[in-house]
Amino acid sequence: MKKLALPIIIVACLFFVMDRIFGVGLKYLYSISNATDEYKISYSNETTRDSLLFIGSSRCLHHYVPSIFEKELGVTCFNAADWGIKNIYYHYGQLGNILSRYTPKEIVFEVHPCDFLDTPYSGIERAGSLAPYCGMSDACDEMLKISGNYWKYQISWVYRYTGSLPNLLTGKLGSMDRSLKGWKPLDGVLDTTGLVAEEYPFPIKQEKINLLERFIKDCKERNIKLSIIVSPMYICSKDDVYKIPRDIATKYEIPFINHYRDSTFIGHPELFYDFGHLNRKGAILYSEMISKELKR
Amino acid sequence: MVVNSLAFLWFFLIVLAIYYICQTKKELQNVFLLASSYWFYSQVDLKMTGLLVILTLIFWLLGKGVFYFLEKEDEHHAAILTNVGVVIGIGALFYFKYLNFFADSIVSFASLLGIHLSWTTLNLVVPIGLSFFTFKLMSYVLDIYNGKIQEERNIISFANFIAFFPTILSGPIDRPKPFLKQVNQVRSFVADNFMLGFRRILWGMFLKMCIADRLDIYISAIWNNYEHHSAVSIIFASLLYPFQMYADFAGYSEMAIGVALILGFKVAENFKRPFFVIDIAGYWSRWHMSLTSWLTDYVFLPLNIKFRKSGVKGTIAAIMLNMAFIGMWHGANWTFFLFGIYHGLWYIPLMINGQFFKKRKIELNAKGWPTCPYVLKMIGIYLVVTFGLMLFHSANMTEFFNVWGSIFSHWNGGLFTDMSTMVNAAICSVALIYVDIQEEWRPNKKLYLPTWAEKWRWELTVALEIVCILMFGVFDNNQFIYFQF
Repeated sequence: MKKLALPIIIVACLFFVMDRIFGVGLKYLYSISNATDEYKISYSNETTRDSLLFIGSSRCLHHYVPSIFEKELGVTCFNAADWGIKNIYYHYGQLGNILSRYTPKEIVFEVHPCDFLDTPYSGIERAGSLAPYCGMSDACDEMLKISGNYWKYQISWVYRYTGSLPNLLTGKLGSMDRSLKGWKPLDGVLDTTGLVAEEYPFPIKQEKINLLERFIKDCKERNIKLSIIVSPMYICSKDDVYKIPRDIATKYEIPFINHYRDSTFIGHPELFYDFGHLNRKGAILYSEMISKELKR
Repeated sequence: MVVNSLAFLWFFLIVLAIYYICQTKKELQNVFLLASSYWFYSQVDLKMTGLLVILTLIFWLLGKGVFYFLEKEDEHHAAILTNVGVVIGIGALFYFKYLNFFADSIVSFASLLGIHLSWTTLNLVVPIGLSFFTFKLMSYVLDIYNGKIQEERNIISFANFIAFFPTILSGPIDRPKPFLKQVNQVRSFVADNFMLGFRRILWGMFLKMCIADRLDIYISAIWNNYEHHSAVSIIFASLLYPFQMYADFAGYSEMAIGVALILGFKVAENFKRPFFVIDIAGYWSRWHMSLTSWLTDYVFLPLNIKFRKSGVKGTIAAIMLNMAFIGMWHGANWTFFLFGIYHGLWYIPLMINGQFFKKRKIELNAKGWPTCPYVLKMIGIYLVVTFGLMLFHSANMTEFFNVWGSIFSHWNGGLFTDMSTMVNAAICSVALIYVDIQEEWRPNKKLYLPTWAEKWRWELTVALEIVCILMFGVFDNNQFIYFQF
């Protein structure tokens, strides 16, 4: 046993040193990446200090044009949304990280059924995107703890970036245009053949709803003007999909802006890239509408 | 409980600590090892733990009986008991693994002839590791009968041979003689065993998590939707599949061997750089070695002796049967049967040319590297294996033909790319290929380290391997491909 003690201690020390060196290198590559995921996550969590933030998943990422809001509202704006069916587990941790640095004046949260339903394709694993920011805020750490990976991220910095080395090495060549301040436009027109409305036959996830409420409470505590918003779809579910967030918004007396069934957009394929995402033209038109609504 | 999971790590650490606390008393150590093995198996397959115990008891008694009659020079009764053992072993395999398959096949065949038979498919769950531990059980009785070993008087030792937790799920398939010898010795903690075993575990994890599971993301994306992929993509995924299989199964074997080594056991090796060969016999002498050597000893050689009078034809018949067994060992499916037959066919030219029993060496140039014709032959064997594994991978023959249909009809599209997955897998695959090349053709040449670092080689390698696994691994506890067999 004694013969083994020294090698094990040396391995532990070498691992610690190697892990930290590689971890710092990966963190640097992450922060300078222009790939959509890395740029959006790193910039929104650790850099942006804009007054107006848009938070949400892919529909938010593609639908809100910060330059239009900056011009109309006269405030700095950043679209902090990210694709990959991110949900409230990620958004709440992200909010915690942002609030640990500064307090924005206004947040617009584009809500999605994944933020309150027990969807099989978007659960706690989405909090994994917060891994690089383990230790940055209590909310972020709480989400990582729920995901079961908090201690692994604490022990290893490299593990926070597992599998992402190729993306990080080529990150500088990524497609995100930083001048668009987080907006990722989609170019193309919807092909309407065979389209059916997306349905959400999933039960309510109480943990997600609790986080949604905590999101609202945290914003209220910091006097952040918060709006919950739903952007248009080309084709809508017959169900009242957004009843839950609407009720929560009413409960906390915050605006609930619902354009889910907006006739300006429904049935207009020229404004959509796919059934759930506006194209560049649609996003500009929609952002102009919303900027005026927010101004009121 | 997957071997490369945190749950297994905790289990193993606790077992290890208690196991070596008991090291002064061999009996206590063996009882604890057996309890650990049964607990481990029950975590994986609780319902079938009883079957494992019962079969162990039956074969232990059969072994005693065979040995008793042999000592009395009653060959006849010894042979009867040996045959009973073989029938029970094959019967268990047949019942759980093949009954539905054969019954369904007979019903289908009869309906083709206009005969209507009825068979209700039984809801049978194949016990995990059945194909591995039944082979160990049968080899025990057969080896006693053949005079290779004596009976194992201690049932705890024998049960440890069958249920040894590092190897029960997916092998390697150990032989009774070397294992029973070790289990009956005092096993004290040896630091060198720990260091070597730990490195093999890490290397196995690297193969499994960084190569096999990473390649699986790409290969599954194509194979599960082959109708929508181009011929180029399907061919590329098919070419990667042998490498994925190798990394997956060799990875598991490395981990099993490493865990066993830390516990003081040297178990059978399972892989020896299987793609550095120039004929199919070479491939099977290096791929899943513990299975092929088992079948060679207990199936091929007896058959070959039986068919001896028929000369080359007899040898061909023996090898075809042997390869059919190898194929069917993997599961009850015609694709596995044809996989075995397909490999058997590649043996025929070797037998006709009289090269079957000769070990063909790869010719090396002055610098010690294989010459160009031999490299081309190695590539050829890889392609032969790839085609066979396409059969192996297909859920049924319809899928196999549909995949080939897609290959012939989808020539328009380009290669499906998933850069992140492919680059991650490529980086790690290069490491594996480098290590295999070094071990094959430069066995004494170590990677250069400066003098000051040389004395820390083990520590540096281990630390770097851990960092690499964390950097490149897939951490969603994918099952090992061979668990299903």
